[in-house]
Amino acid sequence: MRALWSQWKADLLRTVRDRRFFVFTLIMPIGFYLIFIHEQRGALHIAGTFWSAYFMVSMASFGVVGASVNTLGVRLATERKSGWVRWLRTTPLSSAGYALSKIFTQLVLSLLIVVVVFLVAGLDQHVSLSAAKWIEIVLWIWIGSVPFAALGVLIGLAGNAAQVLGTLVYLALSMLGGLWTPIQVLPKTMQDIARVMPTYRYAHPAWGLLANRSIQWSDVLILLAYTVVFVALAAFIQRRMEAKPEA
Amino acid sequence: MAVIEFDQVFKVFGTKEAVQDVTFRLEAGQAVALLGPNGAGKTTSIQMMLGLLKPTRGRVELFSHDPADPASHDRIGVVLQNVSVPERLKVKECLNLFRGFYARPKSLDELLDLGGLAEDADAMAHALSGGKTRRLQFALAMAGNPDVLFMDEPTVGMDVTSKRHFWDALRGFVSAGKTLVLTTHDLQEADLMTDRILVMNHGRIIADAPPEEIKMQFGGRQVKFSSGETGLAENMKGWPGVLDIQVAGRQLAVLTQDSDALLKRLFLDGHDIRDVEVGGGGLEEAFVRLTREDTPV
Repeated sequence: MRALWSQWKADLLRTVRDRRFFVFTLIMPIGFYLIFIHEQRGALHIAGTFWSAYFMVSMASFGVVGASVNTLGVRLATERKSGWVRWLRTTPLSSAGYALSKIFTQLVLSLLIVVVVFLVAGLDQHVSLSAAKWIEIVLWIWIGSVPFAALGVLIGLAGNAAQVLGTLVYLALSMLGGLWTPIQVLPKTMQDIARVMPTYRYAHPAWGLLANRSIQWSDVLILLAYTVVFVALAAFIQRRMEAKPEA
Repeated sequence: MAVIEFDQVFKVFGTKEAVQDVTFRLEAGQAVALLGPNGAGKTTSIQMMLGLLKPTRGRVELFSHDPADPASHDRIGVVLQNVSVPERLKVKECLNLFRGFYARPKSLDELLDLGGLAEDADAMAHALSGGKTRRLQFALAMAGNPDVLFMDEPTVGMDVTSKRHFWDALRGFVSAGKTLVLTTHDLQEADLMTDRILVMNHGRIIADAPPEEIKMQFGGRQVKFSSGETGLAENMKGWPGVLDIQVAGRQLAVLTQDSDALLKRLFLDGHDIRDVEVGGGGLEEAFVRLTREDTPV
């Protein structure tokens, strides 16, 4: 427990000092929100709610996916490449402790992103929801980020390619999953593609909550399936890497 | 008490046998060097001691436990090769991070002192110079007040002054009755710092003895001369004390345990020899010989 606490403190401190994190995961979604909301007018109706609220959910999801897939992935890859992870494994900090520290840090970041994006939307566009609804949506976007953390771990195994791969995957998933442009305005093929994207399945329940629909099991199951696949792949690659000598 | 135990340990990477049939036991309070050229299996061995690699076959124990169990790491400190310190943390934050991992850590001031880093406590660890980074790594290894210190090639790339300084710090650790395990291909280092040397080559332990014994047993002196006599090299192979003979044209290089006796006999028997040179002795030659001897042809 002590070891985990020590690691977590250091991880949080390092995140706060990380400029890349602020640019990619806070400034980008907030900037996009402010730009596209004024262009497209927040009062438009979409999927049973207002565009200002719908796009608020999109951008919060976009930010959280970025923090998980890109920032976490690059950070893990750097720590692995530098031999730091190997060194930590010789200390009393367990692998589980290391992983938990990364997860807790990620959860704090995700919560921070969601709250900040929601604050901006609330202040700038006067998005108003009941207290219960706010909490439900925050909780979903927060907890639903698990598959993307798993994807971040997977990308963290890519070594030198992690930075490029992380950015590509993050932008592609966000675009194809309808986080930038609502899929309702896209051609049929793009809509079909969006429906199998984890990003769409992640934001969809939150959009639904805005329109007073309840969370659908299909979304939860598909996200779970993605999580299992990402974790299994990461574990498989990890084992393959351990069979080779470390320089 | 056994700190480390290897029992018929093999480690295979693909088709390459990095460690083959290694068995030994390290007791508490020993200072031990794993000595050998690059690729001898030293780093693989130390990584198995620390639980970073699992043996393909055989048994490895640290304090009679599975080395992969983090609970067995509370009393050890480690300096690995090719490891950098994390970004965006200050020196004192790095030290406090590691202090938080152990049950009985040394104080921050003590660690800053050990690494000679008191003035750099607030500097970003990542921006330290090469020499200071090495000192920080040493201080981090000492954070848990370890009973056993593992160091994989600790002085590679250090200048002479840093080496001296570092050896002094290590000597303090060893004289306090603690256990030191280091890998090195620096013979002087092994000779200076340890009381037992395991020489490794091609994944096997080919010698295990105190430094003096290694020098005596395998060292000898080299006598070089030229001679026109045919069959002399063949003839000398049976002489007492002769360990090895190499022939290059008319040049003979004879490795012997007693160069005086060898020369006396060569001259008294009236052999045709010229340009006599006597040299060597010490661990360097022992090492070259040991590792060359074991090279598969």
